[in-house]
Formats: sequence, structure tokens, C-alpha cells
Amino acid sequence: MRKAKSFLLRFSFFIAALFAAANSACTRQGATPDRPQVLRVSQRNEPAGLDPAQASLPDEFFIIRALSEGLVTPAPGGSQRPAAAERWEISADGLTYTFHLRADARWSNGEPVTAADFVASYRRVLTPATAAPKAALFYGVKNARAYLTGQVTDFNAVGLHATDEHTLAVTLEQPTPDFLAYVASGPWIPVNPRVVAARGRDWTRPGNFVGNGPFILAEWQPAQRIVVRKNPLYSGAADVRLDEIDFLAFDNEDAEERAFRAGQVDVTMTVPVAKLATYIRDRPAELRHAPLAETRYLAFNTARPPLNDARVRRALGLAIDREKLVKRVLLGGQEPAGRFLPAQLRPRNDVDLAPAATLRYDPAEARRLLAEAGFPGGQGFRTVELTGWSRSQTPVLEAIQAMWKTELGIGTNIAVREATVHKAALISGEYDIGYINAIPDLVDALDVLKDFATGAPGNYPHWSDARYDELLAGAARAGDITERNALLHEAETRLGEADPVAPLYYNTRNWLMSPRVRGWQEDALWTRFYAGIFLQD
Amino acid sequence: MLRFIARRLLETIPVLFIILTATFFMIRFVPGGPFTAEKAVTPEVMRNLERAYDLDKPLWQQYTRYLRNVVLHGDLGPSFKYPNRTVNEIIADKLPVSLELGAEALLIALVAGLTLGVLAAVKSNTWIDYICSSTAMIGICLPTFVLGPLLVLLFAIRLGWANASGWYGPVDRVLPCLTLGCVYAAYIARLTRGGMLEVLHQDYIRTARAKGAGQLRVIFKHALRGGLLPVVSFLGPAIAGILTGSFVIETIFQIPGLGREFVNSAFNRDYTLVLGTVILYAALIIALNLVVDVVQVWLNPKLKFE
Repeated sequence: MRKAKSFLLRFSFFIAALFAAANSACTRQGATPDRPQVLRVSQRNEPAGLDPAQASLPDEFFIIRALSEGLVTPAPGGSQRPAAAERWEISADGLTYTFHLRADARWSNGEPVTAADFVASYRRVLTPATAAPKAALFYGVKNARAYLTGQVTDFNAVGLHATDEHTLAVTLEQPTPDFLAYVASGPWIPVNPRVVAARGRDWTRPGNFVGNGPFILAEWQPAQRIVVRKNPLYSGAADVRLDEIDFLAFDNEDAEERAFRAGQVDVTMTVPVAKLATYIRDRPAELRHAPLAETRYLAFNTARPPLNDARVRRALGLAIDREKLVKRVLLGGQEPAGRFLPAQLRPRNDVDLAPAATLRYDPAEARRLLAEAGFPGGQGFRTVELTGWSRSQTPVLEAIQAMWKTELGIGTNIAVREATVHKAALISGEYDIGYINAIPDLVDALDVLKDFATGAPGNYPHWSDARYDELLAGAARAGDITERNALLHEAETRLGEADPVAPLYYNTRNWLMSPRVRGWQEDALWTRFYAGIFLQD
Repeated sequence: MLRFIARRLLETIPVLFIILTATFFMIRFVPGGPFTAEKAVTPEVMRNLERAYDLDKPLWQQYTRYLRNVVLHGDLGPSFKYPNRTVNEIIADKLPVSLELGAEALLIALVAGLTLGVLAAVKSNTWIDYICSSTAMIGICLPTFVLGPLLVLLFAIRLGWANASGWYGPVDRVLPCLTLGCVYAAYIARLTRGGMLEVLHQDYIRTARAKGAGQLRVIFKHALRGGLLPVVSFLGPAIAGILTGSFVIETIFQIPGLGREFVNSAFNRDYTLVLGTVILYAALIIALNLVVDVVQVWLNPKLKFE
């Protein structure tokens, strides 16, 4: 037995020696006032690139917004604040926005930021060969769409002009009351055209990247970490209290949570659902929630019977107990959704939709509608397929399956497919009922509701309603904000009455954050605000 | 022997060609494409994207063009998912990480596995054998996705000796390599024990002992060479498994290796990256099998190159 003991002893020495020999290149750091302020944030999706023209994910803009800033930038609460432009004027007819750039604004290589740089950046986004995935956020600008599709080849015809070194005039197709929200969106972030021309596709690499934002790209190890350091040339540098932000790559929430517990990460992206209860009980100070302007909904394939019958769709929507779904299954502080638009996207001075346009839990009415549609007690109703794209959604889908079975006597098959296969099926219409997440690009009800216009790329229910299309077109044309809001309200009502989709809940972001991180802010659209953040033990 | 190797290498060419062609067309038949994004894009934007990546051209044209680039220039093309990087760059970046992880894990597996196996065989049916064999059995039964987080819990979270994940400094190599190595160490231990036991009862060992060879000399000089045969045949598939199967370890420890790219590229429909990694892994596996065959002939006098 002594031999066994000495073997174990030696083995543990061996392990300890491995650690000792490997020595510590550990990234764990504490923060004391005199030590550099280094914030370590978890990053979920490896950025495909850091080019604002080619980025499409919020995850990419987390980093891009640290490196560069547009004319205006989103502010917490859903409004916009001045950034590269210190002020702007809107012409009386609402068609021209004149932006005045800060005279002291510099690129991180010392060059002045000029209006011509902005025009060159936007021209690049709209050039077909750039293949900018978010180019549609420029469609409000005069002839932007025509230039992108090649119908207009002279860029001078596009409503983007530098009238002098520090003045940029943007002319719109039609007055757009929420236009500033578009200007604050990601693709409107400029690039330094000379650097892009000189470096080609390598311009976003560390050492090459030139931005006009609060930080400079210092290091990029793909799928490992991206490090940005404070930019002393940034015009608002005095407000930036962090010296460095490390974006650490984690594509797995369990690994991320372990790293958080080991003290490697200050801010995580999510919390594994299985760990929520533990954090609520044991470490509530580290668990954070924030509402998101994201509606999770079911899309009904309106081209397929029996889902082509609006009564059937409404019956299915009314049979779901959203309160129970949120409180018993999701557990993450999500809000039950009776209508499509989340609070953050509803027009100002919004009033509640009429009861006929909202969904509440009403099994009796659901059964009545189903019987009226010819399926009393679910008789004769074929088994429909309910599809999602992640194993983590199975509990939600199963809860809905059970509710439909008990309340309506309807059988459902659940199919969890790989994300791209799921999305491809939604686009081609080869599905019955799909579980979907709508992440808006910006705070504009129109931008979200237009997904359900006839033939729109995001119209997964393949629904077509002339009245709805008309209302949206009217809202897009309306120069007056009150008129626009009224039309959008009516459009949402129309959507709620026809039920091509059944909203389920408004999503919440749950994440873990070290208590030493102060001044962290975020909005409901995944925008990050780095200005006020600092670390304090 | 050279003729044997040359012939085997020639055989690889049609094999790789078939793998490349089959993968090229199979990945295209999977629903969805590289630009089936989270949020639907407008048709004109989709057209621009497809044109930028030549996806608007007929499939056979894309195929011949790809084949020409690969064969003539060794150019695996630009990545669909990471527009500012080429597949060659991604592989050059990530393969060394996976190789290092694999090599270090294999080293641990060999050292620990052989030690346990030889000990168990020499002291067979004693308590030493029982301890070694049960340790090996536990190692085989314990999957990496259990062992990895357990080691993290102990060494990173409780003791604070290491990072829970990442691949920054030397200390970050310890836990992942140990996790990956342990499983293979267990297999190697069992195989070594079996092989050694068989050999130790052979006549030539008895002869060696009768001639007065010491225990150590008998084990290392006479028995090990024969006893290792099962381990060597296992090493071929094991190395391939370590390389292609490092996905789990790379995910648990968030290591920027090629195993993750191999799997994620298929999810991302990153056609060129899928092809690049498949061809690379195929070539690696073929090469490793060849090496194993050569070593086996060298170790086992009963086998001949033919």
C-alpha cells in the first residue's frame, strides 16, 4: 500500500510540476486604481470581418463600434447622439439632412476625418461588387437602391454629397421621420478610404486598421481574442476610462461560464439555462438581465392547409399560455408577447391594439375557432410539424406541443434542424410552423413590420395581404410622424388580425458580470456603450 | 520498401480526387448557403453576394475552376465566411494549434499508457495490475466532455492554477492535453498489457531469462518490441482520431484549432473551408496509415512489404 501511496504522490507532483514548468502566462488580472483598466468581455461569434460595410452580426459591431463611429451613434434608451457629426439640420421639407462634422476629428493615423471620407465609405457600401449585406439600411437615401442595383451608374445622382470638408448633405427619397436611427446603424460607420485602397482586403488586420473611434485594434488572434487599446487621438478620449478591452472568443456557453468562474472574463454573453437558478440563489450580484427588442414568434406557413385558414392560425395562437411558457419553461425573465412589436419598437404615444388583433390565452375561444374551421376537438386535423434550430429550444417547443394537444386535441411533431437548414426551409416555404427570432437592426417599427409585406425576404409565413402592403407603403411615404405612426399602428393591427404569425415572448438578455465592472450600459438592440465603463474593486 | 511507399503514394492521388469531388458536390446539395444569414437579405444584395463569390456561375464551372486552382496553385480559395482570409491562411493559422494539441496529448498518452500497461503486464494479477487496469478502464469509460470540465473545476476554478480555457501560454496546454491524452492513455495501457502478456509467455522470452537476462533487459530489449504491435496498429486510427476528433476538446477549452473550423465550416456552409479541411484531413490520415504500415513491418519480422 505504501507503494500505491508513493505512486499517487508522485503523480500529483507530476501534475503540479506540469503547471509549474508551464509557468504562468495566465491572463487573469486584478484591477487596482493604478493598474491599467482592462475589461475582458466574452465574444460569441468570431467576427467574419471588422469592415463595417461587410459586417452583419451584432457581435461584429460590438468590436467595430469600439474602433470607429458614424455621424451619429445610438444612445442608451433608443435615441441617437452626436458622434463624428457634432450637429445637424433637417430641411423644412424633411428631405435633406445636413451633418456638420467635428473639426477636430482625426483618424487613428492622424489624418483629419472629412465629409469626403464619409461619401467614399457610403459609395463603397452601395457599390455592387462590395456585396454589403446590410446595404438596405441606405435605401432611404435618394437613388441609393438604384445605384446598388446598377440602374443608376453616376454616383453624383445618389443623395450623398460633401458640400465642404466638414459638411455632408444627405438627400432622401421621401421624408423619413426616423431617418437618424438609420444613420446611427452599423453600415453607416465610415472607413478610411485611403487605407482601404492601399491595403485591400487586409485593411482590417491589426497594424493596418485605421478608425475614428475610441479604441485602436491592437491584436486579432482568430477564434481566440481581439484586443483594442485606447485611441489617444479620439476626440472624446477624455470620457474613455478603459485602457484596453479584450474580446475573448467563446462559442460555447458552458466554457464561457467556467471561464467566468475562474476569473478570466468580466462580462459574459449569456448564462446557461441550467445555471440560472444557481446564480439567482447563490450569486445574484453577478447575474444581470436586460430586455431585448426581440420578438420570438411562430410563423405559420400560410400556403399550406390547414394553416391557410386564419381561424386555425388564431386558434393555435390563442391556445398557448404565454405566461406559463415564460415563468415555467424559459425562466430568464422574458415577457409574454400578445402583439408583434416589443415595447421598444412601438411608435411613441402608442395605444394598445384592439383585442381582435392581440393574442391572449383563451382556450375556449381557440376550441370554438377550430371547430368553426371544421376541426371540432381537433378531429381531422393532420399532424403538423413544429420546427426550431437549436436543441436548447426543445423545452419551449415541447410546451407548445403539449398545450395544443391538451387544449385543441392536435398532434404535433417537433423537428429541431440545423440553423441554416431551418432558415432555408423557412425561405423556400417547406415547413408547417417555424419558431423564429426577429432581431431588428434599428429602432423603427417599419423596418420590422416590412418583413411581412408581400414577397419580402423575411416573410417566412409567405403571407400576402394587399391592405397590409398598402399601409406599409403609406407609412414609408408619410412625412409626418403622427400620420406615419397611425399607419404603422394600423398595419400591426392588420397583422394581428390575420395571424400569419403568433408572437410568443419578448426576449431578454441574461449575462454574468463581475461586480467590479461599473458604468456598463446597453440598449435593447445589442448596442454597446464603452464610454462610461470603468473597473473598481 | 521504397517501391512500396511510392506505390501507396500514387494510390492516394485518385483517392484524394474522389474525396474532393464527392465533397464538392455533397456540400452543395445541403439546404441553405453561405449567405443564408440570421436575417434575410434583399434579393439584390443576395445577387451581389453570389456574384462576388462566383456562386452565380454554373456548378460545373465552379468545380473546374476550383480544381484548377487547387491542383495548379495549391490555392484552396477565399473563405466564404471570413471574407478577409483565405482557406490556406486559416489552415496555416489553425493546423499548428491542432497538431500541437494532438502531439502533446499523444505524448502523455504514450508515456502514461505504456507505463501503466507494462507495469500491469509484468505484475499481472497483483494489486499493481488491478490498480493500473482499473485506472485504464475508468479512462476508457470517462468521455472527454466529462473529464475536461472536471479537470477545469478542480485545477482552474478551485485551485486557480490554470485558465479554464484559452490557448495563450504554456500553462493553457496542460489541461486540454491531459484530457485528450488520458482517454488514449487508457486504450494504450490496455493494449500494451494484452500485447505484453502474450509476448511474455513466448518461448524466446523464457530463453532470454534462461540465459540470465535481467528483468529490465527482458522487458525493454525482448518483450516490448513484440508487445507494442497492437499499440502501433492502434496508433494510426488513434492519431487520425486525435486530429479530427479534437473538436470536443477545442470546444471545451475554446482552443483556436482546426477541429472546430472543420465542424463549424459545415454549419456555416463555408464551402471552400469545408473542402480545404476535408482534403487536408484525408491526406493526413492516408499519410499516417502509411507510416503505421511501415513501422509495423519494421517491428514485426513476420510481415513483409509487398
